[in-house]
Amino acid sequence: MSERNCGRRVAITGTGVVSALGTGVEKFWSAIKAGENGIAPIAGFPLQDLYITIGGEVRDFDARDLCKSRGAQLSDPFTQYAVAAAWEAVRQSGLEGPLGERAACIVGSGAGGVTTQEKAYEDIFVHKKKATHPLTLLKTIISSSPAHISIEHGIKGPVFGTVSACSTAAHAIGLAFQMIRSGMMDVAVAGASEAPLNYGCMRAWQAMRVLSPEGCYPFAKRRNGTVIAEGAGILLLEDLEHARARGATVLGEVLGFGMTSDAADMVNPDIEGPTRAMQIALDDAKLSPADIDYLNAHGTATAANDINETRAIRKVFGAHADSLAVSSTKSMHGHCLGAGGGVEAVVCVQAMRDGFIPATIGLDEPGEGCDLDYVPREGRYRALGYTMSNSFAFGGLNAVLVFGSAIN
Amino acid sequence: MDDVAEKIIAILRKNMRHPEKEIALDTKLADLEIESLDLAVIVFDIEDTFGIQIPYNANEEMADFATVGSVVDKVTTVLVSQNASGAAA
Repeated sequence: MSERNCGRRVAITGTGVVSALGTGVEKFWSAIKAGENGIAPIAGFPLQDLYITIGGEVRDFDARDLCKSRGAQLSDPFTQYAVAAAWEAVRQSGLEGPLGERAACIVGSGAGGVTTQEKAYEDIFVHKKKATHPLTLLKTIISSSPAHISIEHGIKGPVFGTVSACSTAAHAIGLAFQMIRSGMMDVAVAGASEAPLNYGCMRAWQAMRVLSPEGCYPFAKRRNGTVIAEGAGILLLEDLEHARARGATVLGEVLGFGMTSDAADMVNPDIEGPTRAMQIALDDAKLSPADIDYLNAHGTATAANDINETRAIRKVFGAHADSLAVSSTKSMHGHCLGAGGGVEAVVCVQAMRDGFIPATIGLDEPGEGCDLDYVPREGRYRALGYTMSNSFAFGGLNAVLVFGSAIN
Repeated sequence: MDDVAEKIIAILRKNMRHPEKEIALDTKLADLEIESLDLAVIVFDIEDTFGIQIPYNANEEMADFATVGSVVDKVTTVLVSQNASGAAA
């Protein structure tokens, strides 16, 4: 394929994941293929009077093994997850630090260090302590993750985080993609992380009445809300020629990025915004709807999202919608909020590498108006050339990525 | 070495990159590779342990935090003045 948009081609040479299904892409992907459910009763903190008691907790994680510097080891879990996933992606790419001035790090989070902040407020307001822990501020700020990653890998170009709730990671990856495509950067670490599971944060989510007490069942008749989860999803992006010159293994390509806003409502999505984001991403990739073999849906299992997303997909894909495989892997790893698009980008890359379409587990009977092929219950082996990943956030902030397999 | 000094040295070791280093009263904090952010954590820990408040500003060079002994002296002084004001009340 020739150059796209008069720019350079952008290879994916590394991936990293921390999730309720496991830490590390290998463990994560084998769980996805097996259709495992990472959602379970929350064990990480006292539930007290919460009536929502399930979540996607990261269980097999030790920052002392997975983060290098002492500063990162002492950081909030959301930063530890980001740093660990970044290490996995950088190691897989074969690049060795310092990555230097032609490297960027765009790693966001929807909420940042909410557990650190909760502890600080508890110390002041409940325990009447004279001071918060001195690291409270540095652990809380969302830019703590990209900063720590830049320190661990010597990244001296643009380093910052994105913030757009559930579209955070997709925005980060999309911006990094544009930077490399335009020739501004050669290498970028991009994605997001989230660690929202604590008492106060769960109370806030519970108060919104959008969480399911039972499980995450996207597109199903029985769906009754989403299930929030911890995690991180990071891609190592690289100018394709830069990757080829050093003999790196190319895992896939980022081909297109579309971002739009509904500019309408904080919680109710509309069809036009997501439709436009998908169309822009396709146009950006210079692909037609029929080229897409698999779509990793936003698929939150809320009443509003799943039906709205289905309608938007039908609008963009037309007749091809009926032969398009669409699944929501949130049914397995839960809703990783800001990190969702990063974790799901890794799913898309793995799906193309392995020729495997992941399932929407727990989908027994489809909900009214949910009439696409959601790959219910079991995944399928099939060669995949192009995939799409949807992220639609609170506030109507939409970000869509299009990926290509390494052989295109 | 008195109780205050022992407690302070234990706090220093807890927050040091190389806790195996030898610590005496005349050891400089700089020689223990304790930097300004580490010191903020150490002061927090000392305040919590002794139930006192220590005036400390990372922007200023402070003689009180030059050596282990000077930190012990500072804490002892604060403890004495706190007890004195408590007794007077």
